[in-house]
Amino acid sequence: MNTTMRNAGMLIAAAAAVALFSIPSPTPWNPYEISMGERLLPPGTEHWLGTDHLGRDLLARIIAGARPTIGIGLAVLLVSIAIGVPLGLLSGMKGGRTDSIFKPIIDGFMTFPDYLSAIILSALLGPGLMSMLIAVIAVKWVRYARLARSVALAEKEKDYAAMALLSGLSPVRLVLKHILPHAMGHVAALAAADLGKIILLMASLSYLGLGSQPPAPEWGSMLSEGRAYFHAAPHLMLAPGLAVMAAVLLAGFAGNRLRDRYDVKLKGGAE
Amino acid sequence: MLAISKLSIRSGSQELVRSLSLELQDGEWLGLAGESGSGKSLTAAAIGGLLPRPLSCSGSILWNGLELLRLDAKSRRRLLGSEISYVFQDYRNTFTPFLTIGSQLTELLEAHLSLAARDRRQRCLEELEQAGLPAERVFGSYPYQLSGGQLQRAAIAAALLLRPKLLIADEPTTALDSLSSRKVLGLLDAAKSRFGISIIWITHDLRHARRHADRIAVMRTGSIVETGSARQVLEHPAHPYSRRLIASIPPLRREMPERLAASAGLEGEDPLDHPR
Repeated sequence: MNTTMRNAGMLIAAAAAVALFSIPSPTPWNPYEISMGERLLPPGTEHWLGTDHLGRDLLARIIAGARPTIGIGLAVLLVSIAIGVPLGLLSGMKGGRTDSIFKPIIDGFMTFPDYLSAIILSALLGPGLMSMLIAVIAVKWVRYARLARSVALAEKEKDYAAMALLSGLSPVRLVLKHILPHAMGHVAALAAADLGKIILLMASLSYLGLGSQPPAPEWGSMLSEGRAYFHAAPHLMLAPGLAVMAAVLLAGFAGNRLRDRYDVKLKGGAE
Repeated sequence: MLAISKLSIRSGSQELVRSLSLELQDGEWLGLAGESGSGKSLTAAAIGGLLPRPLSCSGSILWNGLELLRLDAKSRRRLLGSEISYVFQDYRNTFTPFLTIGSQLTELLEAHLSLAARDRRQRCLEELEQAGLPAERVFGSYPYQLSGGQLQRAAIAAALLLRPKLLIADEPTTALDSLSSRKVLGLLDAAKSRFGISIIWITHDLRHARRHADRIAVMRTGSIVETGSARQVLEHPAHPYSRRLIASIPPLRREMPERLAASAGLEGEDPLDHPR
């Protein structure tokens, strides 16, 4: 994919994010307002994307759903990083017994596919937004822990780390000032690519009825609600489906762009 | 000042440094010579308390009466950088790649002294100047923006910043061209005469030893086989291994009788490379 396309992707993603999060209510329709007389209307001039099985404007619901879907996705991502990176750094830097506790946990989580672990966890915790969040974070932090651990393992062997310690700097300072920034470059690249996956994972859990519950407008649960009417009104599934797809693609473009920009390994290993 | 006695470093059952004893006087420049894997760098790491994890050591390293092998982490941190400092061979990795030289030098001052920000900066600039570098430019540069020789001189500036009493230089000139090496050695010489710093200069190249070192200790497979004044060791090596080591120096070989170089047998020993 060429740079122009990726830049365009970044721009669209940024514009969409700004629009969705800054404009209080971009449509005249209330995403919660039920109007039984206007059930399952096809896309038209009044309701651009049509209405759902309770006569609610679909566009208003898609837009209202963007905030929980993308916003919660971002929050989940940040929490996963906040848990994973410190634990990974600790495990990698300390080595020895600490590492022998963390490594099997990390490897254990990595053995199962994200979806499987997330479904099992949120099913165990019971349906609901909170249990879905916990399940997704529980699945995702491991990747960041593993990444930070491997960065710490590699960097602590380098002369500059030994030099910092031999100059009387404390290990905490070494990690915070000399190793954490190293890890954050890699983490940013992984995170940008991961946002799309998290959105998709949460939408899937909601679709299965394990995530956010009706009447909250969330793309995954909207897909789930639309399933019953797929033959009569396919737009009920198409609209949120396309929204998920667009969000995942745009997050992916942005991620690739960030990775190209900051991942020194792709630039031929120059440091 | 520094007295190492019966230092042994073990990796499992293998003894990498064997009952090594060594003394260093105030203001003395000691060349610690020997091939790769003879335990030179491990000895240096043991002084700083930075042996890689699976290695264990026993014996004693006394620093002005203080037992370094049984020092708690905090006292060790106070000592390192301010009284004992290091220069490594690989100048490209001495500094953290994404921080400016200036911020790394000031960080050192911050860790050991309480100085105002402006004084810290001034002190770093002076030290870089002393090292013969364009101080302002180097202060604001990232490591990759400097040449190898400049980086190594900046590393020496960092090592001398807190006026340590002992500098452990682990092959500081090996990766440099001969002109840069001379500059680096000149800097160490100047530091020695300016504030009487002692230097442990780890090397496998004895070319510069005659001019700079006061004393030479020759190490082989974890023990010191010979110590003496630089002149004595270089001109009248007593141990066969020292003779071979000296015979293997290209510029000196010409000065040696052909017969000696041949009889020394220059075939390589096992070049067991230890992790630093």
